[in-house]
Amino acid sequence: MKDPLVIVCAGGGGVGKTTTSAALALALAARGHQTLIVTIDPARRLAGAMGVPVTDEVTLVPLAAAKGRLSALMPDPRRSMRAFIDYLFADEPEAKARVLSNKLYIGLADAAAGVHELVAMNLVARAATDGDFDVVVIDTAPSRHAIDFVTYPARLAALLGGRSVSWLAGLAQRSGGAAPAPRALLSWGTGHVEHLLARVTGPNLVRDTADLFGDLALVRERFVALTRRASELLLGERVAYALVAAPTAAARDDVIFLAARLEKLGRRPRAIVLNRADTRPAPWVSALRAGRGVAPSITDVLDALEEERSTRSSAADGLAAHLHAKLPWASIVRLPYVEASAPEVIVAALSSELDAHLAALLPEAR
Amino acid sequence: MRPAASDSRPPPRPPRSLAPAVLVMGKGGVGKTTVAAALATLEAETHGMAALVEFGDGESGKRALGRSHRGVEHVVITAAEAIQRGATPLFGSATVAKLALGNFAMRPLLRAAPAIRELAMLESVRQVVAARPGVRVVVDMPATGHAVAWLRTARQGREFLGSGPMFELCDRVSRELVAPGCASIVVVTLPEALVLEETLELCESIARDPGLEVARVVVNRVPLPLSREALVDARALAATEGALARPAAALVALLEAREAASAGAAEALEVFARGPHAIWRVPLAPVDPSARDVARWLRAEGAA
Repeated sequence: MKDPLVIVCAGGGGVGKTTTSAALALALAARGHQTLIVTIDPARRLAGAMGVPVTDEVTLVPLAAAKGRLSALMPDPRRSMRAFIDYLFADEPEAKARVLSNKLYIGLADAAAGVHELVAMNLVARAATDGDFDVVVIDTAPSRHAIDFVTYPARLAALLGGRSVSWLAGLAQRSGGAAPAPRALLSWGTGHVEHLLARVTGPNLVRDTADLFGDLALVRERFVALTRRASELLLGERVAYALVAAPTAAARDDVIFLAARLEKLGRRPRAIVLNRADTRPAPWVSALRAGRGVAPSITDVLDALEEERSTRSSAADGLAAHLHAKLPWASIVRLPYVEASAPEVIVAALSSELDAHLAALLPEAR
Repeated sequence: MRPAASDSRPPPRPPRSLAPAVLVMGKGGVGKTTVAAALATLEAETHGMAALVEFGDGESGKRALGRSHRGVEHVVITAAEAIQRGATPLFGSATVAKLALGNFAMRPLLRAAPAIRELAMLESVRQVVAARPGVRVVVDMPATGHAVAWLRTARQGREFLGSGPMFELCDRVSRELVAPGCASIVVVTLPEALVLEETLELCESIARDPGLEVARVVVNRVPLPLSREALVDARALAATEGALARPAAALVALLEAREAASAGAAEALEVFARGPHAIWRVPLAPVDPSARDVARWLRAEGAA
């Protein structure tokens, strides 16, 4: 087994992050790297574009350009929680049965924002361990907090190893009992909080929470091992972050926000990929404009297209200058606006564009 | 600029009026925030006052509203404040709530526990609406997947808890906010096949649970089809043997993609038109439109 290089793609919604991640993975595979593309985002866009199902299993991407070297992992948010529990409790069947019938778990598995990210990330860690990949491209959720999920493992492991759990574990038995003697307000102790908590939430939540955490504490070792591996994957030496943007004010602010979050984690974006940022007219546009005897209807359309392009282009120039001033260490990769109906056509076109920029996107050799 | 009108479009049925709270949903990047700001602007223009609720730092709403947003009150709700505010009546006093929430065992729990933040934010929205009778409150919800999960937390909490002050909070949010007549859903989407498909699923999913009807669908960034004549001419040129055949074929591909996008939008509009919700279209602009621009386009579509 070797440790793969990891490229984490992050950015706000609507900037073409999913398509860009797919194109990047395709470009890497076409260059001969065994590549895994992972989407944390439950959307099925990428799956559609790549011709693979949304599943917790690693699937080979059936695109000819991938040369058999591109696999995809697109965990289904509705199933990934169960897969995670199966893995954690592989050796604890009784605890597993308890967890699966715990009402809190049922609510949690269904509704919890952030749980899917955590679960998906653990599948990534497993895939990287089991598979033989050179590069893993991770397409994060289109959110400003897309990168924060790397701190979940530490947070949860701390929770499971901390005083909270032993406190909770004892809470279920005590919560039915009498209120603790009132104490001075400043020496607020646990007993007081317990009593309040039970009073506020009712006994069900306290009991189920205590049971759930008690059972999770049983598999803490397994959990910690898994999360340590995931942290290494996402925050290790072999990771590069690519922030994806488009020429809009919202996308610009998202990139700056995400870069600040990364800075807090002690990381910096390696590259910023600007979509819809064509620097010049496409060669075919220039050819038609220079051509003789082209129908006026075509010339009019070309003029309109060129006006759109130059509007996009100057917005992208402004964005690139702004981002370069704020994040001078990140390389800026500009990609053209590809208009096509079929997503796979867009992925293929962007993938050939990205081929020239792979060195700027891959983690630096250290 | 006006949205391209298609002749086959069925006459819009008179839309049911919107509830006091308008929850604007849609996947990330579809222009949700701008549409929410535009709806609030439109409401303020028509009725003198409106509120725009935003979660987080309040930057995006401010940016979308722009400088002149007379009559629109911009309410920013942060998770920490929402939890504090929601917990105060539960614990009896702000001081007790603060002490309890700051407890060594509670802090990590709150950070790790799902649904608490979501529930607290919804409770804050409920309070915002309750405190402003007669004023429409437009809420810029988080991106799709999360927003649906948010709306379900109250019901799930109610079923799960059974009794107690927190049960009552869930119950209140369920009855007074996440309920037909209390909140209308406006879904923002784009005229792209995959996005539209997800939007249809979203509408069904919201109708199932929490049982709210999607009152309006805003199809944002509808591309204006380029000239039909140019497509015919480009096809003819592409069929020649000359040096311009290949460039012309590229133009044909682009024009066809645009046409497919507008046709796809029109088709989806028909599907939605059969449903109970009204559809508003907003045209594609070369750069970010302001909330006022979008409000103008929405008005032209029959909003307000």
